[in-house]
Amino acid sequence: MKKDTFRMHLSRCAAILGKEHYGKNLTVWLTMFFSIISILLSLPYSKWISVINTDALYKKLKLKASVIETLDTKYSLFNILTFVKDTKAGSIGLYSMLLLFVMIATLYFLCLYIFRVFVKKKNTNGNLNLYLVGKSASFFGMLLTLGLSGYISFSASKLGVKCFALSPMAYIVGILSFISYVLIKIVEVEERKKYKEHGFFQEFKKNWVLFLMLIPTFIYFMINAYLPMLGVYFAFTSFNFRDGLWASPYIGFKNFEHLFRADLYRLTKNTILYNLVFILVGNVAQVAFAIFISQLVSRWFKRTTQTLIFMPYFVSYVILKVLVYNLFEYKSGVINTMLVASGLERIDFYNTPYYWPFLITIFYLWKNLGYGMVVYLAAITGISDEYFEAAKIDGANIFQQIRYITLPLIKPTFIILLLYALGSIMKGQFELFYQLIGNNGVLYNATDIFDTYVYRITTTQPLNIGIGTAAGLYQAVFGFVLIMVTNAIVKKSNPNYALF
Amino acid sequence: MLRREPASTLVFRLISGFFALTGAIVCVFPFIVIISGSFTDNMTILHKGYSILPRDFSLEAYKTIFKAPQDILQAYLMTTYYTVVGTAIGLFTTTLCAYVISRNEFKYRNNVSFLIYFTSIFGGGIIPWYLMYASVLNLKGSTLAIWFPALTSPFLIILMRTFIKDAVPDAITESAKIDGAGHVTIFFKIVLPVLGPGLATVGLFLALGYWNDWYRSSMFSTSSKTWELQFYLYNLLNAQTAIKQMAQNSGLSHITELPTESVKMAMAVVATGPVLLFYPFVQRYFVSGITIGAVKG
Repeated sequence: MKKDTFRMHLSRCAAILGKEHYGKNLTVWLTMFFSIISILLSLPYSKWISVINTDALYKKLKLKASVIETLDTKYSLFNILTFVKDTKAGSIGLYSMLLLFVMIATLYFLCLYIFRVFVKKKNTNGNLNLYLVGKSASFFGMLLTLGLSGYISFSASKLGVKCFALSPMAYIVGILSFISYVLIKIVEVEERKKYKEHGFFQEFKKNWVLFLMLIPTFIYFMINAYLPMLGVYFAFTSFNFRDGLWASPYIGFKNFEHLFRADLYRLTKNTILYNLVFILVGNVAQVAFAIFISQLVSRWFKRTTQTLIFMPYFVSYVILKVLVYNLFEYKSGVINTMLVASGLERIDFYNTPYYWPFLITIFYLWKNLGYGMVVYLAAITGISDEYFEAAKIDGANIFQQIRYITLPLIKPTFIILLLYALGSIMKGQFELFYQLIGNNGVLYNATDIFDTYVYRITTTQPLNIGIGTAAGLYQAVFGFVLIMVTNAIVKKSNPNYALF
Repeated sequence: MLRREPASTLVFRLISGFFALTGAIVCVFPFIVIISGSFTDNMTILHKGYSILPRDFSLEAYKTIFKAPQDILQAYLMTTYYTVVGTAIGLFTTTLCAYVISRNEFKYRNNVSFLIYFTSIFGGGIIPWYLMYASVLNLKGSTLAIWFPALTSPFLIILMRTFIKDAVPDAITESAKIDGAGHVTIFFKIVLPVLGPGLATVGLFLALGYWNDWYRSSMFSTSSKTWELQFYLYNLLNAQTAIKQMAQNSGLSHITELPTESVKMAMAVVATGPVLLFYPFVQRYFVSGITIGAVKG
């Protein structure tokens, strides 16, 4: 009964707000006005968090007088982490950082909402996309207020003293978000009816079996990818065993500074240069061999060579280690044996960095030539014979056929493979490098890439979590930006080739 | 109908044949060196080095391995276990997910696809990933930590989605729906029976990944009992201790009696043998897999 009256009230509101044109506009302008207030209230100058019970807190944290002098009593969410850093209260660090992220997300969606109100996109589903942005903004706004109230009790339990108080501004943002959410929801219901779309709950009711089917994948990606993303927080801490993983002191960007001074330039340079060479040399060789094999007449010969060239792709990289050992070992390696047999000096490969860039590239080719070749070969086989017949009748020789028919027609495949490869330019080929170089410190300067560097940190004791995570985070962010930029450029010049 | 080709075409074909042959030989050459090393007398290797064809043919290395096979047998068993369990569960996970995002009536298919794809362009890095399994879930030393992290991948899910879309046109599932079939019925009775090539391809990719992995053992294994085969081989190459263990197992009193060099090569042959034996028969599945994967993204 009660539910019904509630529904009735709702639909009456909807009738006023949703159906009529000015009602819809009223909602949008009202929520936009709230958004502007929320933004103004949450910028860095407004200090939402004040420190109370200072004496008890500082005593508990065993702070020195010189440190206490530098501390403020009022913080915004943007500089609360400096408080965490100065007081070495690592146990509230992760929570503080999460709040900061929610804050940034809120601001982002609020700004996007305001922007979208003015710059309307033409959509087939009316205002539904705009409402989605508005709902996201208000959702994050509410989450922020909830998170902040949780933060008060969380910090009290972790630090042992009730130490933070919230300013009313935080609550105002929460309340405004809540009102906006309800308002938007009301007009959204009407809009959905109009465009015959349904929301999450109806979808769940209709297709709950499909949601169930996603559960294994959901668990997998949560554990393997999404939850570990929280761990990037470790990049900002200095791990020690006394405090453990979650309470080690927050130290800001110190790990990155250390990396920057020591290894970052070398690692970035090596990683990018090696992968660029792999991509260029690799693709050229793959196209060349695909063309060679497509020219063969004997089917048996064609199939056999393709099978043999593709074979190295199937063996593990440990076999590569056996191979390199077998070929380049100082005393008994095949190459040195051959050198000695022909009266030349032995070469000490394992202690000469000079050779390794070439050797690594050669072994990359050995392992991956078949993979791309197979793809290009399929593209070439897919070209209709009529093109070549016509070209022959017109008197084009084989080189002209390749230049003007084959190459242009495999260009899409080439670009797609290139883009895939560019996407992983920051993390390419860990196994290749590790199995070839291993823990041979002499060669690090010429051959160390991010993944080998972080792997060494992970497997050697004591585990330097801070530096390792910082290197990984830098690598991930750098790679991510690279992909986004490349994709944007490609999308602009030819949308068909864009990755997403 | 045969037409006379111009001379330039014939010359180019000759050159192509030459390069294809050279490429094939270069790709096979290392395998031959390893195999011949495994059949060479150990002393010959130590004094004269490895060679392309075996000098002083000897079966000593294989005899040593099979005299005390418990370690390599254990590694073989474990790897088979990881491969079977991982491939089975991974195939199940991948296919279910691919089915869901291939359904046009599922409203969030693009959102789900994006969330899956996103994991391949951004991640927390190796250390948070490692800590997730080792510290948070406390799986260090368990076999779960070895097969779970490779259950599926964005590439395989998208590949499987393409296979499903190609094998089962929307019209068929639509008519099944009208006849009252639910998603479970459609999945098991209509999609799975015609998904043979897709299942084979994705399954083979998974199985190859498990068989060739050494990385997760190096991260999560605490005892040599749970080592993957490739990691066992890796250790044999790297650490003197593994060789010593082997000498003890075969009842040799001194490590110098063990044919260390040829044993390494023989072990490589034994570890890779199954893959290369199967390879010619399953090659076409991999070819179709990577071709479809590259074209449709």
